[in-house]
Parts: sequence; structure tokens; C-alpha cells
Amino acid sequence: MSAQSRKAAGAIWLRALVVWVGLLALLGASLLAAYRLDAPWGPALNFGIAATQAGLVAVLFMRLDRADRLVRLAAACGLFWLAILFTLTLADTLSRLANT
Amino acid sequence: MSARGDLAERTAERHLREPWDELRLPATRAFRSQRAGATFGMWIFLASEVLFFGALFLLYTALRLEHSADFAVAARETNIVYGTLNTALLLTSGMTAAVAVQASEREDLRRLTLLCLAATVALGLAFMVVKGLEYREDIEKHLVPGAHFALKERATQLFFGFYWLSTSIHAIHLAIGIGLLTRLIWREWRSPGLLFKSPQLEVATLYWGFVDLVWIVLYPMLYLDGRSA
Repeated sequence: MSAQSRKAAGAIWLRALVVWVGLLALLGASLLAAYRLDAPWGPALNFGIAATQAGLVAVLFMRLDRADRLVRLAAACGLFWLAILFTLTLADTLSRLANT
Repeated sequence: MSARGDLAERTAERHLREPWDELRLPATRAFRSQRAGATFGMWIFLASEVLFFGALFLLYTALRLEHSADFAVAARETNIVYGTLNTALLLTSGMTAAVAVQASEREDLRRLTLLCLAATVALGLAFMVVKGLEYREDIEKHLVPGAHFALKERATQLFFGFYWLSTSIHAIHLAIGIGLLTRLIWREWRSPGLLFKSPQLEVATLYWGFVDLVWIVLYPMLYLDGRSA
């Protein structure tokens, strides 16, 4: 392997390892929060940590940071329709629970 | 033509598929369009998968809102060691898949691409083994909904219904991912250079990343609830 190849491989590994360490640190934090924090704070924090991890994987491992606008729009559409699905369904469920 | 231009031509001709090879575009430009089209198509598929798994997550959310105490009791029964180990395995496999696809952008990093793909497959298989051990333990503890279910609280059966459904659908997705990556390793082995700038590798690793995302969301749902009590 030439010096140039080694340098390129090193740069790829460095970037990936930094993200990986961050993901595992967040995994440790969620484990700690699950045992230390009572509901609703524990679950709320853990779903927040999961959303952060998912964002890191989507942006840095699945390379949304380098994707063109059309690809980002396709990814955002999935989340947009998901938000509609949750909002409409939970508006019904939560209002029923609040009135029982 | 320069060596770099020649390499781009050869790469384009190796990967071009219909209809891109019949559009009479210069090969390198047609190849760029094909790669962009493959990535865009994969993200559209993943957006539809978000809605598929989103419906499952919505089911969990609605049930948990109504039966939060029973769900906490049920979640305490899952094996947090297996669940956490599997999360770490999948996060690591996500990293090796990301390294593989970035290394495939350079022809001189073929060995790194192959090694990282093999590591990704191995980590995926390790996940399946751990999941199998966990399923065996769950069956022995009578955590399968039905007449002999171990827990008394009624909604705990709903939790475990979701547990078996979501983890088995995730395992099917992971098995498909393992199959896709194994096929690519085999093809690269048979014809060296195939993975260099390959759109197939790009879409397969995107799929792998999505399987990672689903597990990241499932982990707090299935393993972390009710632990502080």
C-alpha cells in the first residue's frame, strides 16, 4: 500500500471511529439513564438519545451530509409522512385517554 | 487519454446498466447519472420502509400510552445484556459498512473494502447468534404470548406480541442485508475491481444503515423501559 493510500485509509478510519465512539458513548449514557432516572424522564431521555444516534448514523454513516438535494428531500419525505402518521393517530389516542 | 480518464471509462463501462448504456451519453456522464439514480431510488425505498416500521412504532406508542405500567413490567423481563451487546454489534457493523463504501471510492483500497464488508457480515451474523440465544431464553421463560405466558399483567402479552413481531421483522431485514453483502464479496472475489465505485455497494450499505436505524429505535422500546423501578 502506497503512502497516499495509507493516508486516505487513515482519514476514512479516523472519521468513522470518532462517530463510532460517540455512538457507543450514547449507548452507555442511555443504559445509565434507564437505571438512574424514573419515568417519564428516563424513557424521554432514552428516546432522545436514540434519535441522536439515528441522526448520526443517517448523516455520517449513510452520508446524507454529502448527498445531493434530491436525496435529502427523499429522506425528509419519509420523516414528514411519519410525522403526519403519528400526529393524526396520537391526536385521537391522547384525546381519548385525557377524557377517560 | 490520461490514466485517470481511462480508469473512469473502464469503471463506467463495467457498471453501466439499462437504460443508461443506451442513452448515448458519454460513458462517464451516464455512469454518474446511474449512480445518482441508484442512490435516489434506494432512499425512496428507505422512505417507504420508514413508514412500514413507523406503523409498528406507532402501535407500540399507542399501546404504551394506555398500558405504561404493564409495559414497564414486561420490558424488565427482556435480557438487557443481549440487547445492549446486539446494539453495540450493529453500531460497529454500521461503522465497517461506512468505511467499506468510502474505501470503494479508491481503486487502491480494494483490500480495505473487502475486509470491512467481511467484518460487517461477521458482525451481522454475530447479532443473529446473540438474538437466537435470546429467543431460546425467552421461550424457556414462557415469554411467548399464549396460554402458558409467564406474566400475570394482561397487557404484558401485548408488549411481547410487539417484541416478537418487531424483532423477527428486523431479523428478516438483517438476513437480507447479510445476503446482499455476501453476494457482493463473492462477486468481487470472482472478478476483482467490481466494487470500485459500485452503485450496488452504495445501495447495499445504505440498506444496512437503515437496518441499524431500526434497531437503534427498538432498543429503548424493548430493553430500557422499567429498569429504574
